[in-house]
Amino acid sequence: MVERMTELPTDVLQGRRLLVVEDDYWLADDLARSLEELGAEVVGPVGSIHDALAQIAGDGALDGAVLDINLNGHQVYAVADALAARRVPFVFTTGYDRVAVPETYAAIPLCTKPTDALALAKCLAAELTR
Amino acid sequence: MAAPPLVCVRGTAFGSWSVSTRPAPPNDAELFRLIVESATDFAIFTMDADRAITTWNIGAERLFGYPEADIIGSSADRIFTPEDQTGGIPALECKQAARDGSALDERWHQRKDGTRFWASGLMMPLRQKQGFVKITRDRTEQHTANEHLREEEERFRLLATSIPQLVFRTRANGERTWPSPQWIDFTGVDREASIGLGWLDAIHPDDREMTRNAWREAAQAGKYYVEHRVRRQKDGEYRWHQTRAQPIDKANPATSEWVGTTTDIHDLRGLKDRQQMLLAELQHRTRNLLAVVGSIANRTARAGVSLDDFRKDFQNRLRALSSVQSLLSRGEREAIELRALIESELSAHLGPGLSPERVEMTGPRVTLGATAAQALGLALHELTTNAVKYGALSQPCGRLSVRWDRDASGPQETARLEWQETGLTLPEAEPARKGYGRELIERALPYQLKAATRLEFRPIGVYCVIAVPISESIPTHS
Repeated sequence: MVERMTELPTDVLQGRRLLVVEDDYWLADDLARSLEELGAEVVGPVGSIHDALAQIAGDGALDGAVLDINLNGHQVYAVADALAARRVPFVFTTGYDRVAVPETYAAIPLCTKPTDALALAKCLAAELTR
Repeated sequence: MAAPPLVCVRGTAFGSWSVSTRPAPPNDAELFRLIVESATDFAIFTMDADRAITTWNIGAERLFGYPEADIIGSSADRIFTPEDQTGGIPALECKQAARDGSALDERWHQRKDGTRFWASGLMMPLRQKQGFVKITRDRTEQHTANEHLREEEERFRLLATSIPQLVFRTRANGERTWPSPQWIDFTGVDREASIGLGWLDAIHPDDREMTRNAWREAAQAGKYYVEHRVRRQKDGEYRWHQTRAQPIDKANPATSEWVGTTTDIHDLRGLKDRQQMLLAELQHRTRNLLAVVGSIANRTARAGVSLDDFRKDFQNRLRALSSVQSLLSRGEREAIELRALIESELSAHLGPGLSPERVEMTGPRVTLGATAAQALGLALHELTTNAVKYGALSQPCGRLSVRWDRDASGPQETARLEWQETGLTLPEAEPARKGYGRELIERALPYQLKAATRLEFRPIGVYCVIAVPISESIPTHS
């Protein structure tokens, strides 16, 4: 764990406001903790499209987001579109294969579950520095 | 051969000579004799009014096998088959020739040796004297070939009109020349309307261009293949079909006639799509489950327990997860009865014979979706484990009551479960343990299921209420 952390540019997520959208409490909690450990300010986590859209519309600009694709059977793409419209970078996390993701989102990085939180944080950091 | 050099002759003074020395044309009789004798492929013979043979050429001798000397004077009927002789065909032929000026002779004839050949010829009456002339030849090969062709055509027609596929004949450019009756039945586009490119009317408008373009490339490729939607007349439904065609003359696909079939693959395609969807779903669930297992392992380890305790707790939690999974796979439409979920968890600890004096379970039929069932199953596992270790099920005097009901009073219908342990005397009201189970009930359930929960460690035993919205708990993706 510690070794992997050193691979990350430790300051990339420092002070960033990151939205976490994940319907599983434990995965959301793991991810939120990991991002916080890297200095990020986590918005959420939230487990539904409704709550995610409310956070996006809320005060304070977001610097990035992590989106689970399937939220209790609902697909997260409305949230993805809202983020894209605000030019907020984001990554997907999902149990689905890339082929199950619509062509529109082909350029969005995809972290296949089960993914450890740090690998995901790294993936997000890469998006933020693009 | 070159024509005779008439120019030289015309330029001389011997004009009268050239006329007088020109060879005289043969007279009719001579001409007739020459033709008849040289026409060895044709049987040419004459007969009198009583059908007795009067002349017999070399062709007739070759064809029928009778030498001239043997047949002159005998009846012409003998060249007919016995069945035609019995049927009076020889007389009929003469009668027709006399009446109409000629009669077709298209039938089997019999040679001297009894073998038969297919004759194709003509019978005509002679003008000067009573009698007839017959000119005929052996067309057995052509006749057999034609018969074969007719049989082949018939076989094709039979096949094309009895298989479920819609068959058609077409030019290399896609212009149809013949649609099978099945095509007409299925599409309601009749024969006349289908001819040419009219058949395209039965193809889904969005697929027409692709269907036509494929014909443009067909001659080059030597075959035609498309999948497109064809309208079913009966109910107007556009059903997916697979259309294939091939040229009959494979060496010249551009000029050859083509034959094709259109096969209904609608259901097959549906199954394939569904299979792909199920596969993606299975993958999604497996990965999600692995993620859940991973997070359970993390949480179980985080409590700071010994390796032995970790192993025991982790195994128990996995077992709870697995028993929910097996309930899910047994249930219809991935729904679980709340009672089955509770019984499954309790029986894992108490054995199949749940003692009614110690454990009471009451509630109506409530069905939960997969997501709610999985989370609730894990919560019930934690409650049960706690009861077995420290609570109502750890002491003989302990009692457990699990009651549930549906509550439709709020904006959303909920399943409300009440877990109540009694009969205990616990030294401390609230244990300091803030483990996995507690976080699951107090935080994970509200987060994942929008459940309202309450967990109290009372002196007489644990009291817990979990209210889960029912519609939220039914996943919409399955």
